[in-house]
Amino acid sequence: MANKSNTAGTNRSFIDRMGGQKFIVLILVIVMFIFFCAMSPGFRKYTTVVSILDYSYYIALMAIGVTFPLLTAGVDLSIGTGLICYSLIGGLLVRQHGWPVAAGMLVTVLLGIAFGIINGCLVALMDLPPFLATLCTCMITRGFGAMVVGGYGIPWPAAAQEGGWFRSIFKIQMGGQNIPIGFLWIILLVIVMSFVLNHTKMGRYTRAIGSNKEATRLSGVNVKFYHIMAYVICGLFAGLAAIAYSAIFATVQPGSGAGFELDAIGGAIVGGVSMSGAVGSITGTLVGVFVICLLKTGLPFIGLTANWQQIITGLVLIAAVLFDILKRKREAGK
Amino acid sequence: MGEVILTMKGIDKSFPGVHALDHVDLEVRKGEVHALMGENGAGKSTLMKVLTGIYKKDSGTITYEGKEVEFHNTREAQDAGVVIVHQELNMLGHLTVAQNIFIGREFKKGIRIDDKKMNEEARKLFDRMHIDIDPTETMSHLTVGKQQMCEIAKAISHEAKVIIFDEPSAALTEAEIEELFKIIRDLRDQGLGIVYISHRMDEIKVITDRVTVMRDGAYVGTLITKDCTKDDIINMMVGRVIYEDPKTKNMTPPGAPVVLKVEHLNAGKMVQDVSFELHKGEVLGFSGLMGAGRTETMRALFGADPIDSGDIYINGEKVNIKSPQDAVKHGIGYLSEDRKRFGIVVQKTVAENTTMADLDEFSNGPFINKKKENEIAQKFVDSLATKTPGVDQLVVNLSGGNQQKVVIAKWLTRNCDILIFDEPTRGIDVGAKNEIYKLMNQLAAEGKAIIMVSSEMTEILRMSDRIVVMCEGKKTGELDISEATQENIMNMATREIS
Amino acid sequence: MESIKQNPLVKKVGFNRIVLCIVLLLMYALFCGLTGGAFFGMRRIMSALNYAYFLGFLSLAVTFVIATGGIDFSIGPVMFCCALIAGFCFTIHGVPMGAALVISLVVGVAFGLFNGYLVAYWDVPSFITSIASMNIAKGLASVFTKTQSVSWPQSSAEGGWFRNFVTMGEIPVGLIILLVIAVICAIILNQTKMGRYILSLGSNKEAVRLSGVNVRKWEMSAYVLCGLLVGISAIFFVGAYTTVQPGYGDTYNNEAIAGCVMGGTSMAGGLASISGTIIGVFIISLLQEGIMALGLDKNLQLIITGLIVIVAVFADVVARRRKN
Repeated sequence: MANKSNTAGTNRSFIDRMGGQKFIVLILVIVMFIFFCAMSPGFRKYTTVVSILDYSYYIALMAIGVTFPLLTAGVDLSIGTGLICYSLIGGLLVRQHGWPVAAGMLVTVLLGIAFGIINGCLVALMDLPPFLATLCTCMITRGFGAMVVGGYGIPWPAAAQEGGWFRSIFKIQMGGQNIPIGFLWIILLVIVMSFVLNHTKMGRYTRAIGSNKEATRLSGVNVKFYHIMAYVICGLFAGLAAIAYSAIFATVQPGSGAGFELDAIGGAIVGGVSMSGAVGSITGTLVGVFVICLLKTGLPFIGLTANWQQIITGLVLIAAVLFDILKRKREAGK
Repeated sequence: MGEVILTMKGIDKSFPGVHALDHVDLEVRKGEVHALMGENGAGKSTLMKVLTGIYKKDSGTITYEGKEVEFHNTREAQDAGVVIVHQELNMLGHLTVAQNIFIGREFKKGIRIDDKKMNEEARKLFDRMHIDIDPTETMSHLTVGKQQMCEIAKAISHEAKVIIFDEPSAALTEAEIEELFKIIRDLRDQGLGIVYISHRMDEIKVITDRVTVMRDGAYVGTLITKDCTKDDIINMMVGRVIYEDPKTKNMTPPGAPVVLKVEHLNAGKMVQDVSFELHKGEVLGFSGLMGAGRTETMRALFGADPIDSGDIYINGEKVNIKSPQDAVKHGIGYLSEDRKRFGIVVQKTVAENTTMADLDEFSNGPFINKKKENEIAQKFVDSLATKTPGVDQLVVNLSGGNQQKVVIAKWLTRNCDILIFDEPTRGIDVGAKNEIYKLMNQLAAEGKAIIMVSSEMTEILRMSDRIVVMCEGKKTGELDISEATQENIMNMATREIS
Repeated sequence: MESIKQNPLVKKVGFNRIVLCIVLLLMYALFCGLTGGAFFGMRRIMSALNYAYFLGFLSLAVTFVIATGGIDFSIGPVMFCCALIAGFCFTIHGVPMGAALVISLVVGVAFGLFNGYLVAYWDVPSFITSIASMNIAKGLASVFTKTQSVSWPQSSAEGGWFRNFVTMGEIPVGLIILLVIAVICAIILNQTKMGRYILSLGSNKEAVRLSGVNVRKWEMSAYVLCGLLVGISAIFFVGAYTTVQPGYGDTYNNEAIAGCVMGGTSMAGGLASISGTIIGVFIISLLQEGIMALGLDKNLQLIITGLIVIVAVFADVVARRRKN
């Protein structure tokens, strides 16, 4: 028996050694890109790449964040409406109360963290099912954001306006071209969060909770704290995503944001995060996000409206979960 | 045996409605293995939970290393050197062995976890225990026995002075138990105090120095193991001598027809080419080590897991079993080893559980005939002597033995002719065990055919008419009870290992 | 407290439901007081009832799914999808009203089959199918109607007869239909095999499967029944509010779940109460009407129902913790 398990490490397939599902999905991203390029001349443009990246920022940030609750075998459904709520309130302070943009951004992120703490407490301290607790905060953030701004859309300062500097965090103008530098931030955050996940206590315990919460608790780990922290990280990244969203889009509308969580959770699961917790990686999540972003930007080029994208993303999510289930069934059968 | 390291005196603990511990005493010395015995619900686990700070005691004192102590959680107890190895394995299947051992107290380099050092330390621990496990292996890839060893390694790594083993052998094979005992003796010789909780009387005689017996939450007495007999301990535990007489010859009537024939059954790695026959009125024992594929064979036969190939004949007719539904249709009933998960619906009543497998019989069209349902449930409560206040009682409120009876009633309601008992007495206390044995013999005498999977050798020898032995997913032998001995069964059960 | 629970009336009706009824009456009194009596009278009650009809069917629908230990928060958008597709067929494609109503039911059942099949036969977590269905329903409705809102006919117009299901003159027919269907649901849940299996598998699916029961079929049936009831709720929604817009409907999920969990249905599955659900729905409807009457921001409703669900589910968690 011992021999068998020892050799298992060296007998892994090529795909497994390249990162398993991540690798397959990366190939899928490339294939999809080539497919859209082949199907539509309009797609083969620099501006398309920029627009894919524009979409990718807030989805990627949400997805990186939601990976943590997913790894604890939970979920956060409030990230989409939360994002809008934080952005609305931050923008309101900047627009109507004359706060500096930096302060508005700080409030946006702090709101994200605050709701992360609330979600974490509901799940970790009060033992509510994660999907239900966050479904409630999803509705609460939606109502809260709309109430605070009184139902009107909030435009954060445009690039040319005072305070518009924050938009250049993600995109700068150079020689008449948009340079999507936001991608560098995403890469940096992916590296940082990969380190957090794989080499710090925070990450180790996040996985441990997803693997077996009771055993982790009995090992003397402060499970409640780390469980809450997973949601706080998720909230923090929803806050960062709110800034990215405000920087990319002209206006933030109250009542929107429902459905964003599908893109983020879908991205994470396509990228190999398991619904049953403990399995997954930040890099995988990022690759998965690009599948979603390519669908978002690519489908209109082949004549399908944004509504089709919603349907197809839903089906992609189901397909990814089915894939995960089949994989686990196969492993259990071994 | 050395000086006293741990004394619990007059420990009292009440839960709403239950006096769980009634002034219990326990004394553990350095370099002894101290057995803690008692039927289920006697309060052994509660006592250990009080010790390790999971429960707060109402009164009494705990003296550890000469000082009065009170631990507020497992972490404090661990840090002081009192560690518990749980009955259910507390492993994190997705993490590596070393990550499991050092969970909660990782070595760090700045904010970074030092996995390299953890692997080295884990390797040192295993060397000390003289076992060979790769610290970087993922936990879920190990066998149950190896996982248990990791748990023990984890306990030792806490610089433990007192280690509590809560039914450690429940999931181990005989060979692994040998290894476990070797480690326990090593630890004892190093001067640790060891508390050993077990149901298995044979083990107590082999491994322990003293025995403390509890009954109904109260302290009964402490004995020197080598000066007492098994019956002494049992008497203290239940206050009466019990057990059915063991079978010495095959009680199946000669010429009894074959009701079930399994040929070349294959299902995954754990069931390879298994063939056997089952006669009417027979108790067919399935013996083998844990992980030999016995439960898997039964689950495949019952349609709970998919079959790769093989033929099943019932009463001479070939049948196609793809799901438990098909199996039940052909008169097979399965009593799982894990009742709470697979046997009963705990939040439903006795009556509802009784008719679960045969609800069509108690329905008019889509509607359930509750009167008829209650009648049949009452009938089986009476005939099986199930202890319950009524048929509308939730099953969760019954004891293990009585829950088992409800499961039996479920299959009898369905009129199943073939009953598969998988570890029928696991988690059932000594007194109730005998009632289950009696019932099985009675059912066989009435013409039911019974398959009994058991890991307890004594149970196999006591109950079976014939014995099938399995090892690593294959059938390695078949014996009549008259020619079966512990030795030749063990021989067959370990045939392919080595 | 214990002695109250021993009272035969309380034992029969259930402590929880009596408390809920008292809450309902107190709320009504409170709103009457706050509005200086303006809330008193049939007009407000009828308006609250209009809300209670479609929400009642939604809540009954989700009760069956929650009883299996699952969840469905695609019901709101699916209800809108039913109303949009059926309404579009009637207004644009000239399908007769009777057939349009059937289309609504069929769309609901189709989503029920989709969710149920994935959950029961493929073991997909129900909240995943919910997220997916929610977005698929929104997308599908938008694609079908080309992102146009749909108005159902007024009672005087052709095909307006369907409004008689809601109110006929002064008679609240909708209330009668809702209560009749609630009674049927209660019978299904408590007196039939289907209900027994749904509750049992919500409590311990594997044990029921190993009893030789086709759990997949019964689990799926809960979702299909849920879909059917959602289809019905769509009819009552347009009966009361006439116009539906694509891309919305998710706010009703929480209200339906709130009604259900408030009424004593356990999120852990295996325990459900139809009468509790109905009282819960009345409370939510009255709350909605009260918020409107007091001139408060309607977004407050979202926040309050969110809090209600949290409190109700937490109470259930505490109750179960105490039992173990």
